[in-house]
Amino acid sequence: MTGGRLLAVVTLLVQLMLAGCAARPAPAARFSERPIRVMSMNQCTDQLALALLPPERIVSVSWLARDPTGSVMAKAARNIAINHALAEEVVRQNPDLILVGAFTNPATRAALDRLGYPMMEVADPQDFEGIRAITRQVAKAVDEQARGEELIAAMDRRLAQLARDRRPLIRVAAWDSAGFAAQPNSLYETVLKTAGAVNVTNAPPFVTTVGRPDVEALLHAAPRLIVRGVGRNEKPGLHDNVDRHPLVRRYWDGGRTIAIPPVYYVCGTPFAAEAAWQLRQQLRAAEVQARKPLPFAQGGR
Amino acid sequence: MSALVLDNVSLVRSGRDVLTGIDARFDAGRLTVVIGPNGAGKSSMLDIASGLLQPSGGRVLLDDQPLARLSRRDLARRRAYLPQRATVDWPISVERVVALGLTPTLPAFRDVPASFGPAIDAALEACDLLALRDRPATSLSGGELARAMLARAIVGDPEMLIVDEPTAGLDPRHAIDAVRRLRARADAGRTVIVAIHDLQLALRYADAIVALKDGHLLAHGPVAQVASAATLSELYDVEVRLSCDESGITVAFRE
Amino acid sequence: MRRMLIPGLTILLLVAALLSLLAGTFWLSPAEALESFTGGRESLSALIIGDIRLPRTLLAVMIGAILGLNGAALQGLLRNPLAEPGLLGVSAGASLGAVVAIYYGFTASFSLAAPVFGLVGGFVTAGLGLLLARGGGTLSLILAGTAVTSMAAAGVSLALNLAPNPFAAYEITNWLMGSLADRSWDHVRLAAPFVIVGATLLLVSGRALDALALGEVQAESLGIAVGRTRLLILTGTALGVGAATAVAGAIGFVGLIAPHLVRPLVGHRPARTLVPAALAGAILTTLADVATRLLSVNGTNISLGVFISLIGAPFFLWLVLHVRRRTA
Repeated sequence: MTGGRLLAVVTLLVQLMLAGCAARPAPAARFSERPIRVMSMNQCTDQLALALLPPERIVSVSWLARDPTGSVMAKAARNIAINHALAEEVVRQNPDLILVGAFTNPATRAALDRLGYPMMEVADPQDFEGIRAITRQVAKAVDEQARGEELIAAMDRRLAQLARDRRPLIRVAAWDSAGFAAQPNSLYETVLKTAGAVNVTNAPPFVTTVGRPDVEALLHAAPRLIVRGVGRNEKPGLHDNVDRHPLVRRYWDGGRTIAIPPVYYVCGTPFAAEAAWQLRQQLRAAEVQARKPLPFAQGGR
Repeated sequence: MSALVLDNVSLVRSGRDVLTGIDARFDAGRLTVVIGPNGAGKSSMLDIASGLLQPSGGRVLLDDQPLARLSRRDLARRRAYLPQRATVDWPISVERVVALGLTPTLPAFRDVPASFGPAIDAALEACDLLALRDRPATSLSGGELARAMLARAIVGDPEMLIVDEPTAGLDPRHAIDAVRRLRARADAGRTVIVAIHDLQLALRYADAIVALKDGHLLAHGPVAQVASAATLSELYDVEVRLSCDESGITVAFRE
Repeated sequence: MRRMLIPGLTILLLVAALLSLLAGTFWLSPAEALESFTGGRESLSALIIGDIRLPRTLLAVMIGAILGLNGAALQGLLRNPLAEPGLLGVSAGASLGAVVAIYYGFTASFSLAAPVFGLVGGFVTAGLGLLLARGGGTLSLILAGTAVTSMAAAGVSLALNLAPNPFAAYEITNWLMGSLADRSWDHVRLAAPFVIVGATLLLVSGRALDALALGEVQAESLGIAVGRTRLLILTGTALGVGAATAVAGAIGFVGLIAPHLVRPLVGHRPARTLVPAALAGAILTTLADVATRLLSVNGTNISLGVFISLIGAPFFLWLVLHVRRRTA
């Protein structure tokens, strides 16, 4: 995290230094003539850009933007050019502002800095406060503050609605499409909590805080449901050892497993509240079916 | 009586004639030495004689029976073969190394039975190895190792013994000792074939000579017939002088 | 003393296996373990022992045994104390096969895909190595093994490079570390037949290995078909190590270490080394697997292959120094 922050600071400094000596006119100078055109290089900033701006003001979005399991704005992205986050695409498309994520290739960013293109790094928020902040940040940069506030207001209405339900939390084990347990303080955790679930993989008996849940611990914790991320076309991998473990299949397959697309937890955008709302419906429906405690559950969980 | 006969044997290796039209006879009870300059084809001939290498042409007969028709195991029982500078790769005890000579006579999947104990003891004794029987073979001196290898070769009492350069790397005392032991095998009625560079030892202890030059048979016969200064000079392309005294033939080379 | 070696190692292995059933994230007491056989089929301890730890223990025993046996057979065949299954490129080939099977979705279409591809990979590399080394001696076999290992490693990198799963790079790195976590009876059923056949092929070569201590020529003169022995051992290696690698990933050093641990106890005789090396390999792997369950750094468990390498690398260093001293 500190590394990312440091990088951001350095990037900012470089940007500031370059702003003084840039050969190109600063974006603000041209802004008065026509609305600025935006290029997005990151799956999450793609969604923000698509939600905030009309299509004609978006030069291109990343190639991941059209994947419906990873982007809520996949449909809108179909009418927009795509990029692969390459410096040469930037030169060709000549945007007024480039949105990048914390993980955008540093070499590309350095090249763009050298060429004097204005870039904005958008953080990867893990909670709703952070989502509000980045939405306002991007909305301001593209001069769409009103649209930004609308999105935030819609999100807050959903959150209020979710908060009114005070039923006890459902114990689940949650992992993503690569089989990694949902991390503490991650967006995935935030969405789970907001939806009314508590993820057992972050507490003992699970020893791994980073990585994949193990089957022994899963049996001990005996969560009522499993929530797992499923990508567009499920790719085989090591996570199959847990996903396809005979015991996991025997006790959790079918009604006790909720499969969700990564779009629920990958990007911190105002749509995260909607994802939590959807997940809550799924959780409640599955809970009804999974009333009977697991045979090995301790203390009648 | 078992005799080994090479009948018009030739060998071609990667387009090169290694041996051409070799006719030779190795009789039982006789020590036959194979001599010749480096690269004359001595080792190849020994490999063919021991059945490890198939000749490109001609036949090899053991007691009028083609060698190639013998099974791998039967052949291994009847002849023993010692390559040049034979070594042991693991620190196995001398006794176990000698016992390896019994490999072709062992029943499948069983360790050396106790009934073979006397044969092993006899081989150890014949080669003065009784005191060294528990020593790791890798810790032996050159002379001791040569004795251990010989004991390994004779433990099964094969009718034919083929040895490539038994004196290589040995000091004079051990070299003489090694050749004497081979002589003893011939005296016991076995067929002994030895490739050797030490002419003096060869002429003193051998019964017959096979002289090879450039893959051809230069001379073949009893020592008395073949061992002439002229033949040896032609064989080695250096002037050889022979002299006789009470201890046998002495060989001298002139530059 | 020597007569007690195999029973002694067997008892040690049983103790290690028992420990492996009890140890883990949760320690089970022997009483609980016993209860798992008498109590309900669906009790927690019955499920953990019966469906998780028992297959895992069996895999550790099986894989450790075949690796140890293989190391002993290859060291005997090549007459080189530094030989191990990885040297001939079989593990690298098996890795490549398994990587291709896992990441290009063949495992989804038929469940035997990973081990079968691992086997094919192992076979191809072993065959290629044999072909390259044809006619040459031990050294050329080792060099050929090194060459095919690099080729297979390049293949793994390429497969990764083109893998459809963005996490493939992470996963393959993890997989190459070797692990037995969360393996099930499915894995035991897949690996067992190949391991058993492979082990049989290696065990029947014992006599030939003894004779080979005298070098290939003398072995041949003693009636040993050296070419056939080489084929037998490489086939056994491809089968056994191929299956082990396909199930557990790459686990190095066991094949190197295990034979050396027992060799002085059997008078250095190659054939006598085989079974004790298999037992030592099984004990080593089982104990290491137990250790990996208990050791974690910042909440992440150490992988089996990594743990064994941490022990194995210093041993390898010692071995190199020792061999140098002996041959100097």
